[in-house]
Amino acid sequence: MRPSLSPGFAVLATGAAMAAGIYATAVLDEIVGGIVSGRGARAAGAMLAPVRRAAQLVLQRRAATERPDAEAWALAPALLAGLAAVGMAVVPFGPGLAVAGIDAGIVLFGAAMALVMVAVFLQGWSANSVFPVVGGYRFVAQALSYEMLHMLVLIAAALPARSLAVGDIVESQAHLWNVLRQPLGLPLYLVAAAGLAFWGPLRLPDAEDLAGGTSAELSGVALLLWRVAQRAMLVAVAAMGAAAFLGGWQGPLLPGAAWLALKTLALVALLVAARHLLARVPVERFMWACWVVLIPLALLDVFLGGAQALWAAP
Amino acid sequence: MAALGAALTVFLAGVAAFLVLRWAGDALSPPRPTDPHRVPFQGGRPPEVHAWSRFHVRYYAMTLIFLAFDMEMVFMYPWAVVFLEEGLVAGVEMLMFIAILVLGILYGWREKAFRWA
Amino acid sequence: MGLRPLARLAAGPVPTFVVPGRGGRRAADDLRLDGRLRLVDSPRAAAVLLVAGTLTDRLLPAAMLAHDQIPGPRATVQWVPEGRRDRLAGTFSAPVLLRGDVDVGAAVAATYRELLAGDRPSDPPVYPDVPPAPWRGAGPYGQGGKGMSGGVPYGRPLAGRAPDRDGLELDRLPLEIGPLFPPFPPGLILRIDLQGDVVQQVAGWENALAFGRPPRDIFRRALREPVALAELEVARARHHLRWLSGTLRLHGLPALGLRVLVLARRVGPGDVDAVASLKRKLERSRSLAWATRGIATLQPEDVRDGPGGPVARSAGIRDDLRTEDPAYRGLGFEPLTRGEGDARARWRHRLAEAVQALELAGRAGDRLVEAAGGVESPRGALRIGGSPSADLLSRLPALLPGREWGEAVALVHDLDLDMEEAVRAAREEAA
Repeated sequence: MRPSLSPGFAVLATGAAMAAGIYATAVLDEIVGGIVSGRGARAAGAMLAPVRRAAQLVLQRRAATERPDAEAWALAPALLAGLAAVGMAVVPFGPGLAVAGIDAGIVLFGAAMALVMVAVFLQGWSANSVFPVVGGYRFVAQALSYEMLHMLVLIAAALPARSLAVGDIVESQAHLWNVLRQPLGLPLYLVAAAGLAFWGPLRLPDAEDLAGGTSAELSGVALLLWRVAQRAMLVAVAAMGAAAFLGGWQGPLLPGAAWLALKTLALVALLVAARHLLARVPVERFMWACWVVLIPLALLDVFLGGAQALWAAP
Repeated sequence: MAALGAALTVFLAGVAAFLVLRWAGDALSPPRPTDPHRVPFQGGRPPEVHAWSRFHVRYYAMTLIFLAFDMEMVFMYPWAVVFLEEGLVAGVEMLMFIAILVLGILYGWREKAFRWA
Repeated sequence: MGLRPLARLAAGPVPTFVVPGRGGRRAADDLRLDGRLRLVDSPRAAAVLLVAGTLTDRLLPAAMLAHDQIPGPRATVQWVPEGRRDRLAGTFSAPVLLRGDVDVGAAVAATYRELLAGDRPSDPPVYPDVPPAPWRGAGPYGQGGKGMSGGVPYGRPLAGRAPDRDGLELDRLPLEIGPLFPPFPPGLILRIDLQGDVVQQVAGWENALAFGRPPRDIFRRALREPVALAELEVARARHHLRWLSGTLRLHGLPALGLRVLVLARRVGPGDVDAVASLKRKLERSRSLAWATRGIATLQPEDVRDGPGGPVARSAGIRDDLRTEDPAYRGLGFEPLTRGEGDARARWRHRLAEAVQALELAGRAGDRLVEAAGGVESPRGALRIGGSPSADLLSRLPALLPGREWGEAVALVHDLDLDMEEAVRAAREEAA
């Protein structure tokens, strides 16, 4: 029996972890962007830049369009944020310690991530404007392509643990992290993670060729919330990646939560670097690569991971 | 059950927080759209028709392959838990199942289901 | 009041939507390097509308609509080249007017600060608050009582169905994209029928910058008088690098694009190594290669008998006016070509031409180019009475149909049209 947390603490802990992660993502993004563009990056400026942008958006009015689906439009960022929070909640930050340490953690995580498609599509659809609508449909193609990839590599990580609980998966990596045990796992997972957060090279629904796509009609608080929810999703998938492939909270000296935070940040930094160094992939090409190359590789990852687990099992 | 309740609480709290923030943002700087403001952005010209339409989803063939794989995922969750107890037999059984599905991918590839333009 | 501290915090890079008018495109592009501004792709994200250059009659309504689409608080800054007319005076209520050689970034930032501090009222809308199309139909949304498909809410009908190549009859959206759609050349209005995300046909195009004389850059000057070959080739290299900066931005690498833009502004005959090293680095990028290979491919027949230029040369057509010029032949000039004709070939080819141009400039000495009827501009053969942009523009209806939206946008960008240069063609078509 796992200790259960009070609802208030659960919400506070998840919220604080997400907020810290989102801010760290924004600062990292500013620094890496400054370096790549050759403008240079000053720490103080990078720390302040996200706050400035948020303040600008808070002071801006919200845009409206002709006959939008107002309820869905308000719901889309909220849904994305709620799903990111669920993703974050199943990740343990200490032995037996998770906001929602359920036995089928991977299944719940997968279910939440599958609904991301709904949130992004709603955002695209509800403005009743052509660029967001095309962006929304683009994301459906993208989501249906990375979805299998995402779940297959997580299932491979569950094989040695004999359990779908994220806590057990972390503990199964006490001697050897999954990133070494299943070398295909983490790279494939990161592709799916970028896809889930429509981030960097997989920023297809928000692409430049759609003048911003699903966010083309957003302004003010609505835009701020959409960006925050997107980065929340990025943090949540990075945290899950840290738990499933980098040994989660395990590590010497520091407390478990600190190790999880460090590993999550490392993955976020990788994804931020990818955003500034990798070109955006055309959607058709991504779909093709997922089905013809990456999903077969993920299946290979499952069977190689299974073989390794059988061989190593006592 | 408590854990599932916590997950649900966190989800609802996230959704509610964002809805409240949106409402608060509207209260702080109320939207004042005029009719021309509402015209969707297409680069400076108003649209002729509404964007909502029966959209030609050209990747429909891929969605069918996805369905097949999504069903397989349902079997794979419990399989992952018992895989080590059942050993090689479970591995080979799943391999056969997956092999049939991969034939679907190969067929889809040949039929250009993963391209649309 | 309570918002003061927030307003002070918000005084960062100003989200600005730029309306590039005549003579304003390059200056507007350079504003990306100004840390006080952040150029945005949609007016919804902007606080300041910056009109750069001279507005034309056809651009003015688009600028007015973009202005009203900015959610506010908003301000308008108009930056007019010396000696040109200020066109907003009668229509916009209180635009900040800048003339000639001024620090635009500082002016925009100051305007935004005043706006945030409440010292400057938010611009009132330009258009009257009436529906752009008359409201028709019954029911709470004007839906005619039969759901969205029954009437014409907001005076706009719903899209109708049309046949398609896979036999499915689904809705076709007739769209007018531009003249301020950021990935397109400023001033281009394309009438496109979109089915799903595939361009079904190009119903026509308009040039919102069709007014007055074409711009007088060095290539056009070379049509009339001898110019230094070195100067011409440096201008070519700069042009190609500037184009590359936009290409990187379009393919999702805005930070790298800024780096290239800095290079494009200062490059000279001594920078062959810098550009060659950029070329090597970009060609090593697998992701950029993968994202552009086989995208928006042009067949040789698509660009045959045209103005030549890098678009044609990267599709295997060896047309280059420089081969006929004795000054270039004296330098041992050989045009570069490649066969693929896709987006990757185009950026690689333009980079190679930039390196070649700088090498030529370095060896040119004081050679002069004396045009015999035409000059090889960075877009292709420029002649009196004909421009490469006009020719490529007229080919769009044949080139775009059947392409996915992202591919179509990449192709329009790659053709590197200049709508000011295409003025003459628009006139001829009208006549």
